[in-house]
Amino acid sequence: MTRYKTLRDFPVEEYLSPGSTMCAGCGAMLVLRAFHKVLGPNVVFVNAAGCLTLLQVYPYTPNKSSWMYTAFASAPAGAQGIRDALDILMEKGRVNSFEDLKVVVVTGDGAAYDIGLQSTSGAIERGLDFYYLVYDNEAYGNTGFQKSGATPYGSATATTPPTERNPTGYTGVKKDLFEIWRSHKPPYIATVAPSHMVDMLRKIETASQFKGPKLFIAFSSCPTGWGFDPSLSVRISRLAVECGIWPLKESVYGKVRHTYIPTVLKPVEEYLRHQNRFRHLFTPRKQETAIASIQEQVNNYWLEAAKNEGFRITVAKPVTIAPP
Amino acid sequence: MLRIRFHGRGGQGVKTSSRILGRAAFSAGFFAQDFPIYGAERRGAPVTAFTRISHSPIMERGYIFNPHIVVVMDETLLADAQARPLEDLPRGGVALINSARGPIFSEDQAGHVFMRINFTDPALRIIGKPIVSVSAAAAAAKLCGLRKQHVEEAVREELSELGVRDELLEKNLMLMSETYDNTPRYSIKVDEERVGAVELVDPASGRVVYSDVFAAGNAVHRATGNWRVFRPVVDYGKCTGCKVCFIYCPDSAISLDAENKPVIDYEHCKGCLICVVECPIRAISSVREVEIFA
Repeated sequence: MTRYKTLRDFPVEEYLSPGSTMCAGCGAMLVLRAFHKVLGPNVVFVNAAGCLTLLQVYPYTPNKSSWMYTAFASAPAGAQGIRDALDILMEKGRVNSFEDLKVVVVTGDGAAYDIGLQSTSGAIERGLDFYYLVYDNEAYGNTGFQKSGATPYGSATATTPPTERNPTGYTGVKKDLFEIWRSHKPPYIATVAPSHMVDMLRKIETASQFKGPKLFIAFSSCPTGWGFDPSLSVRISRLAVECGIWPLKESVYGKVRHTYIPTVLKPVEEYLRHQNRFRHLFTPRKQETAIASIQEQVNNYWLEAAKNEGFRITVAKPVTIAPP
Repeated sequence: MLRIRFHGRGGQGVKTSSRILGRAAFSAGFFAQDFPIYGAERRGAPVTAFTRISHSPIMERGYIFNPHIVVVMDETLLADAQARPLEDLPRGGVALINSARGPIFSEDQAGHVFMRINFTDPALRIIGKPIVSVSAAAAAAKLCGLRKQHVEEAVREELSELGVRDELLEKNLMLMSETYDNTPRYSIKVDEERVGAVELVDPASGRVVYSDVFAAGNAVHRATGNWRVFRPVVDYGKCTGCKVCFIYCPDSAISLDAENKPVIDYEHCKGCLICVVECPIRAISSVREVEIFA
């Protein structure tokens, strides 16, 4: 039985104070706040370099819990150290079991997809009992929005600007971190998005029953990097899910299930056109091929998932919408 | 707890000095902590190091902002705008200064006690170099009430770790002994120990501008309300208390009253206006902000 049936069940206790240094409308903050609420006060966050590192700017912290900062590549190693120390101290009776802390790694996509991937792989392999929360804003947002392993096809970043020779922006594909992690067979992996809050709360709750690595990839809309009005942060997240760009799913010991099926997919254009990072796909001339290619990737993904899991889905055909 | 801050220049042995003092205290059975800070600069640039000494485990971390003793290993730093060695030295706190001039004891208007001891000339005479790590540590240790034997032990261990050869080590021990003996005994009286959450209140506005690093959730003392250009305003006549605005406030700047109606914290609301967009019945509107909070 879940404690979270509707939005009204959203926990009221507040573990993050206002006054942080994050951008107005930060999607990652919505995710972190929800995580903290479900996991409760007894957590220790282990963070690698990224936007959220700046939550703790001496002498200020919004956290009512503990936070440890590690080097870019080594947050899961830091989590291992804390977990081991707590286990040993509890075994020796120097720490009471009610003082035990949940160890939560919080990193951006830069650390998760690129720089810290090997240490995450090691931690999953060792079966470390921890949570891993990636706030994925699909680029190195903290340093000025450079391309990361999570950057999707067609996105403009500081290092993949649309140019005359390459008008599409980034032309590679976003790494499938969910599948990279799944190949390690951890107990629990899930994708979440702040717009679908009940789904997120339930997944964190579900994960809590497993011992071992519990891994989350969170859609984190980024007004500053993606170029949209901060007030649209949740709306962009909802569009990403409804357009099928950001599938909400979970994997329990390797078995995948989609937790939210957008039965009739909205065309990806509806998601893309609100963001400056995709603006070059619409103006000065519309890049039909690039947009169609994004739609095709999404359609293929969902048709495959529908076949595997036996649900029905109506994919979107590339349609023409006037540029904003 | 005793807090000692060392100020000197790169090459004088500032870091070593804080380590010798820390180790001497540790040998004497205290809890101790020592560490330096230096930037990207090199020899000759201002360097700071810190030592904490306590009867109980030291939970305090970070730079020492409220020292009982500052050791100024180069007196020209007293006028250095970057180093500011006397900053936050309380009334009754001691500034131990390496100086060849002036009286041993003096006091300034702020109630700081200046103690001048010549470190450099004895160092030149005995070890032939202007390195005063051992002298500064010895003088500071005496002020802290540590015994000479513990300082001697610490000098031996620290300098051996640095690979100092026996002959030079013996000279350093002579220098230590001489400085220790030349330093007068003095009992430090500082007004009060700051305990718990330390807050600095701006006298003009009455607002808290600095908060102790141990106060969890102290970011609440940072007003982020001035980031805002538009302010969200709730129409309580329409509001149904559905909590959506509360859920989607990234900054925890919305809390709920007894009837689940939102209360917006304008001192912190950054004006992202997600609440305006997400409110299912459009009970929140945005208004051009004209108030200033800071």
